Parts: sequence; structure tokens; C-alpha cells
Amino acid sequence: MNSSIPPWRATASAPSEMTTPVLPNTALTPAYIPVQARRSLAHPTQHHNTATQPAPTGYGYAQPPPPPPPTAAPESRSRTGFTPAVRRYVQRCFAPENQVSSVDSKEMQEKLRSVITAAAEDNRMHLIDWDRMILPQVMIQNERNKILANPDVSNWGSSGQFSTTTDASRKRKSTNVDKTDLPPWRQANQGNRTEDRSTYPSTEKRARMTTDDSSKSKANLEMRKKRFEGTVNSTTPTTPTTPAEPQPAIGPVIGRCETLEKNYFRLTAPPNPDTKWKQQGNYTYICDQFKSLRQDLVVQHIENDFTVNVYELHARIALEKGDLGEYNQCQTRLRRLYAQKLGGHPTEFKAYRILYFIYTRNWTAINDTLAEITAEDKKNAAVSHALEVRSALAMGNYHRFFQLYLDTPNMGAYLMDMFVDRERLSALAAMCKAYKLGLELRFITEELGFESDEQAARFILGNCPVEALEEKNGSVRLVTEKAANSIERGKAEAFRVVDIKGQI
Amino acid sequence: MSFLPDEFRTAYSNRSGPNLAALLTPIATPNDPDRLRSFHNFSNADYVKEDLGACLFKNKKPRVSHAEKNAWVDIFAAYWEAVGELLELDIPNLGVTPVTIFVAWKKVANALIRGYSASSGLPAWTLPCLYSVGKYLRIFAINADLHVASQESSALDFQEDVAADSEKNANLEEAARVINRMFTLAPIEESRKWGIYNTTNLLFKTYFKINSVGLTKNLIRAINAQSDDLPPLEAFPKSHIVTFKYYLGVIHFLDENYAEAEEHLTSAWRLCNRHAVKNQELILTYLIPCHLVTTHTLPSERLLSPFPRLERLFRPLSNCIRKGDLVGFDKAMSAGEEEFVKRRIYLPLERGRDIALRNLCRKVFVAGGFEEPKDGQAPVRRTRVPVAEFVAALRIGTHALGRVDTDVVECHLTNLIYKGLMKGYIARERGIVVLSKKNDAFPGTGV
Repeated sequence: MNSSIPPWRATASAPSEMTTPVLPNTALTPAYIPVQARRSLAHPTQHHNTATQPAPTGYGYAQPPPPPPPTAAPESRSRTGFTPAVRRYVQRCFAPENQVSSVDSKEMQEKLRSVITAAAEDNRMHLIDWDRMILPQVMIQNERNKILANPDVSNWGSSGQFSTTTDASRKRKSTNVDKTDLPPWRQANQGNRTEDRSTYPSTEKRARMTTDDSSKSKANLEMRKKRFEGTVNSTTPTTPTTPAEPQPAIGPVIGRCETLEKNYFRLTAPPNPDTKWKQQGNYTYICDQFKSLRQDLVVQHIENDFTVNVYELHARIALEKGDLGEYNQCQTRLRRLYAQKLGGHPTEFKAYRILYFIYTRNWTAINDTLAEITAEDKKNAAVSHALEVRSALAMGNYHRFFQLYLDTPNMGAYLMDMFVDRERLSALAAMCKAYKLGLELRFITEELGFESDEQAARFILGNCPVEALEEKNGSVRLVTEKAANSIERGKAEAFRVVDIKGQI
Repeated sequence: MSFLPDEFRTAYSNRSGPNLAALLTPIATPNDPDRLRSFHNFSNADYVKEDLGACLFKNKKPRVSHAEKNAWVDIFAAYWEAVGELLELDIPNLGVTPVTIFVAWKKVANALIRGYSASSGLPAWTLPCLYSVGKYLRIFAINADLHVASQESSALDFQEDVAADSEKNANLEEAARVINRMFTLAPIEESRKWGIYNTTNLLFKTYFKINSVGLTKNLIRAINAQSDDLPPLEAFPKSHIVTFKYYLGVIHFLDENYAEAEEHLTSAWRLCNRHAVKNQELILTYLIPCHLVTTHTLPSERLLSPFPRLERLFRPLSNCIRKGDLVGFDKAMSAGEEEFVKRRIYLPLERGRDIALRNLCRKVFVAGGFEEPKDGQAPVRRTRVPVAEFVAALRIGTHALGRVDTDVVECHLTNLIYKGLMKGYIARERGIVVLSKKNDAFPGTGV
């Protein structure tokens, strides 16, 4: 494209309908390839015509609202100490051509504030070359890109759990018929892939070279290095983003932060406990938050009791919501964390693990787990419960199994719910054969742990023809001979291999 | 001066793979305890290649292609280095550890792999070298891992991270990758096909050791995919096939495909050399539980007598199953649990409880005696047995009376009927079990 034009001129001379919305900003970004991954997918091409297109409904963040005039910006209330350079910088931040579609103005302001505060606190206000200072929205983008560059992110793509962006892209999908067979993240890349891969780096490099030339002084370089520490290190994505990142000693703050997605750890101020998972029950949202948290923990190599806490909480919530794929990811990681003796509730999760393997009928893993369990573990109520469940099922002892089902410690019942119907069918199949003369419904209700005769009847009718139940002498009976075949079919269906995404 | 060059030439002119492979073993033989030392003293690091080139192929014999000659020189040079490491292992302060030995031996393996993958590769009859080197590669890797683990456990307090699962077997995993290269060598060309099962077995062994049984599935798939190009199984050395079948059986066994497992294990059992007691024992360890599940039969005393370990492992359980002693069975299971779980036979053995239960119920039936004979007809057993009698039988030996209530017993009976171990039905309202009158209430047991 305009690789021969120096970036600063490119900004000025490029026609306004330029197809690359983020170019003006990226001219100043550090030397790495800003892969426009998922983040920008919602509006890769919409940015330059913000004015003409209405913002999508739902989540305002995706489409930046028209920037407030610089004078109205919070920073411009500027205490007397702000130099003209700083003001120019702030103005630059709010300039419409510098807006990045994926960064919401609120986030940007937050970042801007933190940048300036940090500089003021360190007494570096006058040392910083504000005219060349990287824009906050670019910083945010860089941080995101870095996260996305991390291999761990593949989890994101696969599970389709992120709330807002998926919504946005789905909306797009309906209008963009030609792109519909591509997954949303691909779609996003389509628009500006070439620019990302080829044009930017070269322009950018040149930009950097010139700036470096002009600011030869060693102190200046040092400053730059310091300033970019948080953002430039894209080659080593595992180093902590900022040294000052809040050490996660906050304890079990359960996703109460209202700002969306990646903000959780990026904030320099502690998150506002405004929304609580229990009140809202917005699982997609909370899952997203937890994934973001987990990602941060992985990226920053944080492995301590807090990490365990995060994973445990997410695993529990995932269980509650029946999101076994997510649960399994947490479980796998937890197992490694427990091996390091970081606290938490290893026995509770060991019990879940056994139940989970029962559900997935992974015999090899069950055997391995049996081998791992110590005599000490067996004393734990949850573990011994899970072990009993296993042996009851292995023996076909449905009587015992449903007793255990009704008396499950912790959140194991959520897991057992996943396979209890399967086992009911299995038990019914056996019963149909053994009780040829028919069975009272009452007995089935009691043996198979149904809450009421009605629930039992509904379950049976869900699998059998109506004539399988008949009323005789005031009590409902299962005509086993009529039910046998359909129950057997239902059982075969239910016992087909369970396939869960992300299973180890 | 070492014997090696002479032995090499003899082996080469006789085209004896095993003899050639014997030259590449990293251990001294009883009749030549100084074997390694004398070989190592024969040259030095600077001249080893020239020396080897001159000695191994003195007077242009054996007559081989240039590439083949170079391959052997490389292989033996790597071997010479590894031997040097081995000799220095016990000398302190030289920095030689099991890990460095593994690294040195890996070079031997890689030199061999290069030798085979070159266009004018080494001939098929030399494949035993590959087997032998692969075998020791695995052994050295295990030693190296043990060494690393022992180092770590002593330095544990100073380390932040405890080695994760994957790091525990880092060397062995590396070995697995090298062996996997050996495996992929095999199918390329006619001459190397013969190595396929041996290398597969080596990989199976390694994957089992690093607890990645799942990876074996890929190998099986790969072999099945090229089965058309491979010579028939019978054409391969029996030793390869026995091991291969054994692992195939165990892999099916772990997936609870007992029928297939039994098929493979049985053919391994049949082919197994009768002096290979250890291998026979391994095969039986899985074949017996398999047989218990598929045919409900127990091992005879004659079968187990040559294997005291198996006798200890299975006898108590078998006795309890035979007698229908449920309490004894549970005790025997928990007594042997650790061993059973370790060998991964706990789950199938657990199913033996059904057989024990069947035998117990059969006793109840037999004890019920016969109906009043009706005018001269053959006596008929009492086929209407009160559930209470089964309940009483199941309570034998249990102290917790509350645990064995009628519903549990009915549940057990239901399962026996469903699984076809008992023929009849339960008339719940009348509290009796009506068993088959056709003399097959307990199929296959004579009543």
C-alpha cells in the first residue's frame, strides 16, 4: 500500500476513505505484528464510517460512541501542572481518526488516566515525549493482541462462550451472507489480513527507526524502554504484563467487575463489586470473565492458592451450569495445581473427577484414578461416596446407586444428574426382564430415586408407549413386557459414547 | 586391541543380524568382561572414525557400498563415544550421569536411523541392531529419568516448581520420539518392513511406561492402514508377534473390549515360548480376568501351578467365587486392590462378584430340594423360591443386617436374571422367585 510513505505523512496524506481503520495508530506501535485477531472481529471495516452507520444495539462497547470533544474529556480538567505536550497527547487520544473500533472510549479513558497518573506519580511528566507517546487505545489493543497470541487462546475460539463479541458477529453474519461459512474470527481477519501481515511491519519499523534516530540520548531510550515494558514484550508473551499488576491477593472476587472482558486484571484500581454472579446468573458472561482470569493466570505464570481458588470457582460454576467442557478444563488444570500442594479442596475435586469419569465412562482413567487414591482420601466422605457410586454401578446395584444419588455431598449431584437418567434406563431394562409380571410404579419411584410417582411416570412415558402404564386396583403399574423393548432401545441410545469437547 | 573389527567382519560375511547386534550392546559379556574397555582403548576421539574405517573394512572386506561403509563408521563412532561415557559413569567428578549416557546413546540410535533411511540403506538382515539399540535407548532413558527424579527430590526444597507430570518422563518421552522415528522407517521399503512389529512393540512398551496408553491407538491405526503391504503375521519372527499380540490384547482389555482382548491374548499365549515364564505370566495376568468376564470360568490349579505369583493373585478370589462367598470375595478384593489396580485388572475382576453371587443363589436353589414327586415322574426341583431365602443367604457373614434388605437382594437377583446368569422371574407381590423348570435355572451349571 503506502509502504513508501513515512507513517506520519501517511496519516496526513492518506485519503479519508482508507480501508485500514487502525493504520494511523499502528504507525506508532512497537515492532511486532499486530495480528487483528478476534478482538476486532466485530467491526473490522466499519470504523472509518462510524458516523454513517448506527451502532449495533446490545453492547455499546463494540462501537465507540462519537468521542467527546477534547475539552470535555476528564483529563482536560487538567490541574495546572499539565504541559501543552500532555494536552496535545490527550487531544490526540480523542481525535476521531485515532479511535480503534474494538476499544471502547471508557476503556480508553481509563487507560489514559492510568498512564498520566503513573507518569505524574513517577515524576516523569516532563521526561516523556508526549508527542510520540503511544495512544492508550493502542496500548489496550496491544495487550489484547498479546493475549491472543498466546496459544492458550485456542480454548476461546472453540468453546464459543464469549458473550458480547459473538453476539455482535452473529448479527453481522446475518447481513454478510457471503462470509457466513467462515468462522467469525476468520471473517475478521479477512478484511485486513494483508495489511496486518505485510504493510504494517515495514511502515512501523521505519517509524521506529526514525524516532530512535531523533531521540538518540541514552536516557531517553531507557525511558522508552521502561514505558513500553508492559506492551512491547510481545516476543515473550509469558512475562507479566506490568510489574505493578495487582498481585492476586484480592481473594475470591467473583467476577463483580462491570467493565467487559479483559479488563479484570488490567485495571490499576481494584474492580468494583457491582455485579454478582449469583444475582445475575449470566453464565456466558461469568464464564468469559473466568476464562479471562484463567488466561491471565496462565500467561503470567501465577500458580498459587488464588489460582486454585479461581479454577475451583469456575469449575463449580461450570458444574452448576452443566458446562462440562469448561469444567473439564478446570479439572485438568486443578489436578496439576493440587500436585503442587497449593491448598484448595483436592478431595472434593477428586470426587468430582471420579464422577466425571463415570459419566464419560472412561475406564482407563477410572483405573488410573483408583490407583492414585490414597487410604487417606478414602476417609473423605466425598471421595468414598464417589467410589461407592462407581462400584454400585459396576455391580449394577441400582438400589445402592440411587440411595447414593439422593445423598451426594458437595456439588457432585450436578455431575450425577448427567448420568442418572442413563442409569435409570439401565436399571429399568433389567427390571423389565426380571419382573415379568409387572411392577408397581411406587416401587420404581422409590428404587430409582424419582422425586414423585408423577416424575417417574413422566420418565417412563418419555421412553415407552402409553400402554406401558396401566392403572389397576387404584395403583399405577408398569407393564414390563410392553415396556421392555423401548426401554432397551432407550438404554442403547443413552449409552452411546459421551463426547465432550476438551476432554483429556 | 579389540575383537570388534574381526567380529564385525565375521558377522557381516555370515549375514548374522543377532551377532552384529551383539556388537552394539552397551554391556560387557561374561566371557569378555573387558569388552567395552578394550574397545574404547582401541582409539581416541580424534582418530576414531579413521581407525574404524580402516579396521572394519580392512582389505576392502566386507565389500559394501560407500554409503553403507560410512553409515557403519558413523554408527560405531557414536557407539565408541557412548561406551566412553559408560566407562566413566562410576568415576566421580567427570560430569557423566545417566542423562549424558542417554544423550550419547541417542546419537547411536540416530546414526542407525540415518543408516537405514539413506537411499542405499542398510540391509534388512542387520535390523536386529535397530532392535537392540532401541531396547537400550529405552533402558537408558528410564535410568536418566530416575536420576533426574532423585536429583530433584533432594533439591525439592529449593525449587519453586515441582516437576509436572510431563517432565517426570522427559527422557523417556524423548526416547519415544526416537523410537517413533524407527517405527516410521519401517514401512518405507521392503527390507525394513520386517522391523515394524519390533519397533511397534518397543513403542507400546514405552507408551505404557509413560502412561500414554492413548498414543498406542495411533500406532495400531497406522499398522492397520498398511496391513495390505505387510507380509502376513506368521512370516514375522514369533517373538515380535507374541509381544505385539500381547499389547494389542492389553489395549483392548483396558477398553473393556474383553472379547477382542481374549482373542489376541489367547494367540499370544499359544505362540509364547514355553520357557518364557515371565511372558507367560504377563499374558495370563490379563487373560485370566478376561476369561472370567467372557466365559465365567476360573483358572485351574494346574494352569496356575507354574506361576506362584499368579497363584497368590488369583487363588483367594477364585476360591471365594467358587464357593459363592461374597464376604470373602469383598475381602479378597480389597486385600488385593493395590496390586489389581496397579495391573489394571481391578475392574474386570470386580465382575467376578456376579459369578460368586450366582453360585450362592444356586446353592439356595439346590438346598431347596425337590418338589413332592408326582406319580412316578422324575423328581423336579422346587422352582418357587421365597426371596427371603436369598436374603438369608446374602446375609451370611455380614454383620450389618441393615445393609442387606430385601430390595437390595431383589436388585441383585434382577441383575442376575438380566445378565442371563439365572433364568426365571421375580413375583414381587408374592415375594417369590420363580425359576425355570427346564433344568436350566442357572445355565451352564448343571441345574
